[in-house]
Amino acid sequence: MRRPRPLELIAAAVLLFLVLAALFPSLLAPGDPLAIHPAESFLAPSWAHPFGTDESGRGIYTRIVHGAGPSLVIGLSATAIGIGLALVLGLAAGLGPRWLDFGTTRFVEVLFAFPGLLLALLFIVIYGPGVVTSTIAVGLSTAPGYARIIRSQVLLVRRAPYLEAARVLGRGPAVRVFRTLLPNLAGSLFVLVTLGIGQSIVWASSLSYLGLGAVPPAAEWGAMLSAGRTYVASFWWMSFFPGLFIVLSAVSTTLIGRSLQNRVRSA
Amino acid sequence: MAGSIAAQPPVTTRTGGRARRWLPWLLLRAGGVLFVLWAVATITFFAIRLIPGDPAEAVLGGPGSQASEEALAQARREYGLDRPLILQYLGYLGRLLTGDLGHSYSLRAPVAEVIGENLGGTLLLALLSLLVAAAIALGLAAWSVRGGRGASGVSSVLEIVGAAVPHFWLAISLILLFSTWLGWLPPVSVPGPAGLVLPVLTLAIPLAGFLGQVMRESILDAMASPFVLAARARGEGEGGVFWRHAARHAALPAIGLAGWAFGALISGAVVVESIFARPGLGRSLLAAVQLRDVPLVIGIVLVVALGYMLVTTLTDLADRLADPRLRRAGR
Amino acid sequence: MNRLALPLLSAAAVALLLAGCSAAAPTNSEPVSGGTLVYASGDGEPTCLDPHVGGNYPQALVATQYLESLVSKNKDGEIIPWLATSWKEADDGLSWEFTLRDDVTFTDGTPLTWEAVAANIAHLQNPATASSTGYLALQKVTGVEKVDEHSAKVLLSAPDSALLDSLSQPWLAIESPTALKRSQEVNCESPVGTGPFEVTAWDRQQSITLERNKDYDSPPADAGHKGPAYLKKIVWRFLPDSASRYAALRAGTVDVIDNVQPDTIVAAKKDDTIDHLDAPRPGASNRIELNSGKAPFDDERVREAFIRSADVDDAVKSLFFGTAKRSYSALSSVDKLGYSDKSLFGYDQKAAATLLDEAGWTEKDAEGYRVKDGTRLELDFPVSTNQSIPAEQSLFEQIQATAKQAGFKVDLHPLDLSSWYGALAKNDYNLVSAPYTKVGPDVLRILYHSDGTIPAPSGYFANLAQLKDPKLDALLVQASETSDQDERAALYKQAQQIVLEGYYILPLYDQQNHFLYRADVKGIRALPTVSTPTFYDAWLDR
Repeated sequence: MRRPRPLELIAAAVLLFLVLAALFPSLLAPGDPLAIHPAESFLAPSWAHPFGTDESGRGIYTRIVHGAGPSLVIGLSATAIGIGLALVLGLAAGLGPRWLDFGTTRFVEVLFAFPGLLLALLFIVIYGPGVVTSTIAVGLSTAPGYARIIRSQVLLVRRAPYLEAARVLGRGPAVRVFRTLLPNLAGSLFVLVTLGIGQSIVWASSLSYLGLGAVPPAAEWGAMLSAGRTYVASFWWMSFFPGLFIVLSAVSTTLIGRSLQNRVRSA
Repeated sequence: MAGSIAAQPPVTTRTGGRARRWLPWLLLRAGGVLFVLWAVATITFFAIRLIPGDPAEAVLGGPGSQASEEALAQARREYGLDRPLILQYLGYLGRLLTGDLGHSYSLRAPVAEVIGENLGGTLLLALLSLLVAAAIALGLAAWSVRGGRGASGVSSVLEIVGAAVPHFWLAISLILLFSTWLGWLPPVSVPGPAGLVLPVLTLAIPLAGFLGQVMRESILDAMASPFVLAARARGEGEGGVFWRHAARHAALPAIGLAGWAFGALISGAVVVESIFARPGLGRSLLAAVQLRDVPLVIGIVLVVALGYMLVTTLTDLADRLADPRLRRAGR
Repeated sequence: MNRLALPLLSAAAVALLLAGCSAAAPTNSEPVSGGTLVYASGDGEPTCLDPHVGGNYPQALVATQYLESLVSKNKDGEIIPWLATSWKEADDGLSWEFTLRDDVTFTDGTPLTWEAVAANIAHLQNPATASSTGYLALQKVTGVEKVDEHSAKVLLSAPDSALLDSLSQPWLAIESPTALKRSQEVNCESPVGTGPFEVTAWDRQQSITLERNKDYDSPPADAGHKGPAYLKKIVWRFLPDSASRYAALRAGTVDVIDNVQPDTIVAAKKDDTIDHLDAPRPGASNRIELNSGKAPFDDERVREAFIRSADVDDAVKSLFFGTAKRSYSALSSVDKLGYSDKSLFGYDQKAAATLLDEAGWTEKDAEGYRVKDGTRLELDFPVSTNQSIPAEQSLFEQIQATAKQAGFKVDLHPLDLSSWYGALAKNDYNLVSAPYTKVGPDVLRILYHSDGTIPAPSGYFANLAQLKDPKLDALLVQASETSDQDERAALYKQAQQIVLEGYYILPLYDQQNHFLYRADVKGIRALPTVSTPTFYDAWLDR
């Protein structure tokens, strides 16, 4: 194992903080993220409130910590939906007969032809805004991209010698798939997941920014960004810190994903 | 992710074709494009009908228009909204085949006209952003190569951060920095190049992050590969080696991303056009969806799908032209 | 550097500084003719520039520059002459005679005659026009007759004390009858009026271009000057993002902006280059309506409990930075006949608790919300993100928090406009905030008469509090028919007392209507009718 580079350590530390915030928010921020204090609204960052307060006097640091859970869950779920769907499509295309490959590839192309935001928009306009619909919407729009990658990975692996060897040895197709294909896929899948979480968080926050995501007074980062957007000229901290954490989450998951990728390669 | 090019086994394609057989490939492609366009139109048509609300109202300017019963009935007759859904769909398809994109409910103008007015703005934005992104990505790659491990690390982080930044956060930060605090650039779109700088930067930076990450692999691989070694042995300077050999090979995976980049640019354009008040397809699309303006939504979606299909077909063509021996597994 | 350089350089610097100072912005005291004003609106672009079609506020804002109405209003609330020089109600109240100016022509050359009035009223009442605001206002009008070339008689089915108020609004402005004969699509793009400017170009989703009407001379009686406008051109743009809109104003890219957020108003006060115009809209105040048509608000005690549990004053103070004044009335403060009662709306959690106990909501569940017969005290509150500014949405959040202390569970649902109307039409709400702009107290009839609960074909209805009180109905009908001003005032006062004392609404503040403009733009004022700014007297001190 290579020694972890300092950047990877930092990324891991950030992720640890985020996971802790998601699981035990009160440990890191004892206040109540929903209690309003109109008299303390719009305060600039200070010792009492390290990230300042918002329009209802709620501490932004507290809300960011308590919002880590929902935001990360959205990122994870959306990625899970996206990759799950992509697995089904990619496996079908890569392993199935030619017509199935043709059909699913065309289906993926159609999905791809919709700009991601439009797919999400349509979905949300039909089923109403909210955390659940925006998560599904983000998952749907990322699925085609992953499906393509999974399909090409499957095809690559399918031609590989060890699969041929397994066939020669008489193992059935299902066994071949599960014993040889999936472990090989797992590596790249894991990397995709870590890269995808960051992207999904960013996407979901874009939807919240457009008013199509989480509902107030939820302390979700995208919703906080949306609320802070009108005040950005006068009270920059309301948008800056949620945005910063969105970027930090995406960057740290990507960095971890990259380092995993490198380890897998060099292993 | 695909690993270095040299390591890939030469595999025959699924279509089993060789470089000479253009015609079947072209026909298949054209068929594919038509299929995708048909599917896109169909899905959008039915998806919008799923949206709660009376479509006749959308024609009259949206709900809460307090339109009278007669006006609604007239709108239904005019737009054929009182016919069964399947007939409406077939009628719509028929008109599409003749090139009639219909009439926008909210803008009261032919859809083709609306798209024509807005297409140029979005295309300009997308193309410029793509160019700037490519320039930034190549620049960072060149710096990595020159500067060694340290520069490589820093530019890698820059790319990752760039790709992780949400468009609207970037837009607002850029406006704050360059317009409010420094006063160098206008905060919203104005006629002329000055009004393009911030919108283009907002779209280009995240894209540059992605492109950079993709190209970085290939460039670093290429710089370490045998033919580059041979070029250096022949006496070519570092610059020549970089631009003539490595960058070309990095371009391949980047071109492969072109289709995806197109989609990402259109999505980004929705946010960027709203914040900077630039006329374009993105903003029109957002408004059209919110106003349930079916013909306009389908029109824009079709144009975007067509654009996407064009881009992917062109990149496939470029792939094949660039190196007929190159068949990535499963093409 | 030799020894002379420094003193020379300093002298040069001082000279430059002085030159800069003397080349400061020219200050004229006399209006200067010419120039282009850029207006940036935060509203959505209208789909039709003819305010007869539909009839919303963004249309009113732009139409104020190129269309004129029969009458206008002055700051004291009196109806003053505009295109009509005088008017007389018949003794039986069933007709009004309007005498028009005889020297006015539309910008397409058509003269202003009685036929124009008839054509416009017919256009508004024609279902094909799909007018909502104008159509509603003219419900009692049965026809228009000629008295002479420049006098028209408007016939009514019943006396209408609100007719003049209605006619002062831009949604009932007078357009050229020749132009009205064109197709609606064409008329939407370039309506023809008598105003100080005319529409010369409409680049959809980019801007509307208005140019000076060279032959203009029909300003309302309270205007600042006569003859053509000073400005040569107005460019009307749409910038939906409030932060970039304000940034554009500060940068000088635009000259006037609307939909100004409270914090930017405060920031602008510190900026010498920007001035502020506060013009609250007439009609209803910004209020929260309680749906008395279904549980739990069908019980007056629960309504009062909710109102008592809402701490609005603190919220308004902290969220609006003193730019909005708390209202205790159903009507805008602009309306002279508004009635206000502060005592009904004091923040009192104890009183709320007592009332809820009395109403039978005595149990509480694990989260502190009140329960009765197994049902939780839950309230649905759809919020229109188009109509409620972010500060107002935050206000609702704070009300949600204080109501929670009393045991109410308030579910806020931010929705886009179409979905919001959908929820209202389906009766899927307990609380809602829906603005209504109209000149005059007749708006009370639209909002609180039981007829207002009957939905239009689109499902929309205006009486969102679902107030059905025969006594109130009678008062409102009587007030709409009487021409005795004192009787009218007394009737409307009684009507408002019923609305307020029944705890059907929670008034918040006037409909906020703030504009910021560059300090070198002089002569801007808001028309006292619907509080839209008019640029007729405006000039650029540049």
